[in-house]
Amino acid sequence: MTFAHPLLLWGCLGALIPLLVHLFDRRRPRPHPFGAIAFVLKSQKRTASRLRLRRLLLYTLRTLILLAVPIALARPELSQKGAVTAGLGPMATVIVLDDSLSMRWRDTRGLSGQTLFEHAKTEAKAAARELMPEEPATALVCGAAPAPPAPLSFDRARMLQLLDDAQPTWEAADSSRCLELAARALEDSPLPGKRIVLVSDFTATSLRTEAPLPTVAGLKGERIRPEVVLRDAAAGLDALPNHALLDVKVEPAPQVDPKAFQFTFTARNFSDEAMKDVELQLKVDGRVVSKGFFDLPPHGTGQKALTHRFEGGPVAVVEGVLAPDALTEDDTRTVVLPVPRELTALVVNGAPSPQKFRDEAFFVEAALQAGGSPVRAVVRDADAAFREDFSSYDVIFLLNVEAPRGDVAQRLKAFVESGHGLFISMGDRVEPDAWNQAMGAVLPRRLKLYKTAVEPGSSDVGARSARLSQVMAEHPVLLPFTGRAREGLMSARFSRYMLLEPGAEGGQVLGTLDDGAPALVAMRRGRGQVLLFTSTVDRDWSDFSIRTSFLPLMQRIAAWLSGALEEREELKVTVGDTATLQTQLPLSEVDLLGPEGLELKLRKQPDGALSAGPLPAPGAWLAKSEGQVLPALSFAVSVDAAESDLTRLKPDELKAFFGDDAVKGGSSSTESKAPIWTWLIVAAVLAFFLEGLLLKR
Amino acid sequence: MPVVDASTLSRLTGVKLRARAVVEGVLSGLHKSPHQGQSVEFAEHKEYAPGDELRHLDWKAFGKFDRYYVKRFEHETNLRAVMVVDASGSMAYGSGPLNKLDVARTLAGALSYLLVRQQDATGLTVFSGGQLTDVPPRANASHLNVVLDALDDTGAHGTTDLAQAADHLAEKLPRRALICVFSDFLDDRADALRRLLALKARRHDVAVFHIVDPLELTFPFEDPTLFLSMEDDRRLEVNPREIRESYLEEFGRFLAETKQTCTAADVDYERVRTDDPLDSVLLRFLARRQGR
Repeated sequence: MTFAHPLLLWGCLGALIPLLVHLFDRRRPRPHPFGAIAFVLKSQKRTASRLRLRRLLLYTLRTLILLAVPIALARPELSQKGAVTAGLGPMATVIVLDDSLSMRWRDTRGLSGQTLFEHAKTEAKAAARELMPEEPATALVCGAAPAPPAPLSFDRARMLQLLDDAQPTWEAADSSRCLELAARALEDSPLPGKRIVLVSDFTATSLRTEAPLPTVAGLKGERIRPEVVLRDAAAGLDALPNHALLDVKVEPAPQVDPKAFQFTFTARNFSDEAMKDVELQLKVDGRVVSKGFFDLPPHGTGQKALTHRFEGGPVAVVEGVLAPDALTEDDTRTVVLPVPRELTALVVNGAPSPQKFRDEAFFVEAALQAGGSPVRAVVRDADAAFREDFSSYDVIFLLNVEAPRGDVAQRLKAFVESGHGLFISMGDRVEPDAWNQAMGAVLPRRLKLYKTAVEPGSSDVGARSARLSQVMAEHPVLLPFTGRAREGLMSARFSRYMLLEPGAEGGQVLGTLDDGAPALVAMRRGRGQVLLFTSTVDRDWSDFSIRTSFLPLMQRIAAWLSGALEEREELKVTVGDTATLQTQLPLSEVDLLGPEGLELKLRKQPDGALSAGPLPAPGAWLAKSEGQVLPALSFAVSVDAAESDLTRLKPDELKAFFGDDAVKGGSSSTESKAPIWTWLIVAAVLAFFLEGLLLKR
Repeated sequence: MPVVDASTLSRLTGVKLRARAVVEGVLSGLHKSPHQGQSVEFAEHKEYAPGDELRHLDWKAFGKFDRYYVKRFEHETNLRAVMVVDASGSMAYGSGPLNKLDVARTLAGALSYLLVRQQDATGLTVFSGGQLTDVPPRANASHLNVVLDALDDTGAHGTTDLAQAADHLAEKLPRRALICVFSDFLDDRADALRRLLALKARRHDVAVFHIVDPLELTFPFEDPTLFLSMEDDRRLEVNPREIRESYLEEFGRFLAETKQTCTAADVDYERVRTDDPLDSVLLRFLARRQGR
């Protein structure tokens, strides 16, 4: 045991006062002749043993009071045998305060319902106050990217202010880095004693126990381990029960509606007890639109899919919210979803026919008007169509259309380059030369000539027709065509098709026929896309239009050409990360508005991408430019799922990491919460109170 | 009702004056005399002999038998009363103007005054430290002075011996009498009070005046005190605060037991504090006697 002010221990001599008073204070009692002395004698005899005990107690209590006060003023401190730097007198001290997400766990045991971080602040401030005046100290608030602490000083007020101002973060703390920084800070002190006070919840993720404990350079350059004092913010709690939403997967749900999406949430129970009927709310722009319930086994996960049809755009903030628990921050997952707008396709029918099944646009119109279609189809003949204002459409289908006039071709070119889609299919009205001349700048490849594999209508059509031999399965248009759907696609027979010039500009061939001729060629023109189908979309040159794969493929082509499939890759951003966003939009200035009024500027990178970060809080971050929300640059930030695991480190694990001799107050010990002198004062007050009670009796 | 308090009485010197003051207070408080007329109880006839009271001649018997007979009565007087005063050392204790013995003497004197005033005989027995002083009961007015003088001469000393006093009274009082005992009953012997009350079995009428001091009742001492016995050489140094609770319990039990013993023996019990107004004490006593 060491004392901060050992001279004050001389005050313990005061404990002799009761004994001296007893020995020397023999006051002469006043004589009093009394008639009823027999009763006095009887009472004295009856109470003699009790009085002796009472006097002994009084003497003990008075001695205790007179002993406790000077010892408490001398500020005793227990130092464990073998502590590396114990017994070296005053020690330079760094108080490390864990401010990770898990510290937001709310302790509902008491009435106050404080978070672990509030407990931790109290602990850290208590540790600061318990320091001896001659001990230099500093504090380090330990986050994900900790900065070196302020130099060691005797300015307690500044340190307490720093601890007071500390706020919990949304990230995991890098405790190894913090201990390293603390050790470096301690090297600045000439004192031989070095101490790190670590205030944390000591969850499994709070310490990287695989990293070695940092050492400090001693006075002679030797490496010594600093004394580590652990102060547990969750003292008395064996477990910190928690559940969390770990992930959300977003998929379009065209089977429900073109504007419907399915959200599949993954939740995990990190506690030892099963959780039943845990409510999950699906919120869109803050409004609850759907609910589900989880049954989560102990340390198990569960999934729940909820679907919602969106009405308007351009962006919706979708949140999955679990029933709140002690750590509510990980009970929410946010998705910023660009809401698909209603698309319109202009279907230019190059060969109309009163007989529907002979009509060039019949099958395309049917496909685009069927359920699940992403577009609303408007069918016009060529003359009427070319008089239309193209800007009111998202995609144009040119089906077996004669080569457009020059002005129309120019309008079509401008239409595509401004970011729209154009589909071109062949037929007997398509003259390759005329088309090459008029639409050469738009076509993915120049048209060459027709090839007839077999005369349509002949008896051996089935045997001699061309078939698709290869398709680019990874292309968004063809992604769904796997398994049986692919068979349906590959079984289509083509009796005649257009051969194309070799692609000098290099269009993207999505599918080729068995003779190597391209069947489907795509190419970006400006900001738009052009897709060329080298056969017909009616039954004139192929039977593709009556195949099961025709309808989904046409809908898929319409979605892709209109940009509905060009979803940006889902951005997984965690708090503390820097988000990098790819865009080709010519933007001057973009603001990023986060939750709780947070605001960041998007910075332009040398490669043209935009970046923002580190992102300080979870939730929806909406990019705005000139007052308009930019769906492509908006995203959601989530908390680190690892921080949801609040499994506590066992005392043995802590000792294994910090060493038996260095740990002064482990997580399992709560007695270190109050210093010895406090208990001495409490004992003295208690003794004083008891003495008063005894005297009163 | 006039009240003669202890401080007033203390200013009067001698039992005579104090008793008279008390009696005057009593008389002015009485609405009627408690003893009206004579209490003559015929006992037997006796043949007349010279010297016998002629007024007791039974003329009807003379007419019947032609011989002179005189009537003999159970009581020669209206009432015979003996004041028994405890003059042990403990009776000298008093925290106020009057000590316990002063109160006992004044009450005994006042009661004697009242009895003699209505032609009753009154006597006195004083006991202390094994010594007994008797004044036989007489009814004449001059006898009252004898009683009061004897009370005046009484001083407190020696131990309390109630049993000895009881035996002495049993021997000295062959005929029925009213025995008024004035004592603090601080007698260590277990059966002392019972032996005194046994006089009741001998057809005597017994009344007990239990005299206590307020300090004995409240034990208000604070500082360490050396208590000295007033009857022997016992002494005890004690911190009164430490034993107060126990003392009050013991003394309260003693008072309750004394009263309960008296009540059980059909004996009038009157607890008298030394600071009580004594005329009130007597009036209370007389009123109770009248109600019997």
